[in-house]
Amino acid sequence: MIGLVYRVGFGFIGLSVVYLLVSVYARSVQREKLEKRFESGDGEGDRDAYIEAGMKAWQHGLRRRLIWLVYIIPTVVVGVIIYVVNY
Amino acid sequence: MWRKVKWGLRIAVLLVVAAFLHYTLPQRDIVLITGTYNRLTTVGANWLFYATPDVGTAESSTTRDIRFIEAVRPNGKVSVYRNEDTGWIWPPYFKYDSSNLQAEAGNLKSTTATPQWVAVTHYGWRLPFLSIYPNAVKVKAVAGPDVTLIPWVSIIVLLALAFGLFMLRRMWLQLRERMIDPALEDVNNALDAADARADAAMRQARGVWRRLIDWLGSWRSKPRP
Repeated sequence: MIGLVYRVGFGFIGLSVVYLLVSVYARSVQREKLEKRFESGDGEGDRDAYIEAGMKAWQHGLRRRLIWLVYIIPTVVVGVIIYVVNY
Repeated sequence: MWRKVKWGLRIAVLLVVAAFLHYTLPQRDIVLITGTYNRLTTVGANWLFYATPDVGTAESSTTRDIRFIEAVRPNGKVSVYRNEDTGWIWPPYFKYDSSNLQAEAGNLKSTTATPQWVAVTHYGWRLPFLSIYPNAVKVKAVAGPDVTLIPWVSIIVLLALAFGLFMLRRMWLQLRERMIDPALEDVNNALDAADARADAAMRQARGVWRRLIDWLGSWRSKPRP
């Protein structure tokens, strides 16, 4: 049983690292996309303001929330494996 | 020379990864189960290929009662599987129903005369020299020795691994493009600026030096006309 506690703890730490990496990466990609969109003449006015507004919209968007799947998918997979192997 | 060393290292890493995956990923054999039994087994230097002592079926790290399943493959050769819980860490099969599996295997026992073919899902290798056995994970009755079983789990795991590697590479490239390269550029610019300043100071110093020499020279006796 203590092994289960260890496993959940280390799994949580590992997934948090993955979550951090993925969210930093996604943010960077989004910023680059906004910069390119501004440079192609899509946005008007101040460049920094345009990008900050875009980042704020992304921060509350669905695509950002999908990064939570980093936690959800492995948990579901482990549950499915336990069910398939033992029952 | 270096190229050969580099390629040798790469191939060695690839082989280790491939062996690791081959050991860990599930495989299915279609067999006849001919016997199930327990045997007191001493686990020594080959402990890596047995369950860790903290799981349900392995109370001691040296000598323990291990369940085994004996089977015959369609080509007449035999297979022997151990049947141990895997524990919670590695390999991630989360198997804790060894007793049930042993009962199911016993129930599916048959002889060559009246065969009941069984697909045994297992991971691991049988190496008689090291006394290691593949660990059976699941048994399931199948129609015959020739049914096709598609290894979905291995396909999905390998695809997921490939996707993970691809994403890691994308992340690294993004990091380099957005963070490391601009930072290096800044450093380079700073170095260039420092260089330019140093050059200017050098020129200035040289100017001072030149003037000093000239002034000293003015004290020298002039060639008389």
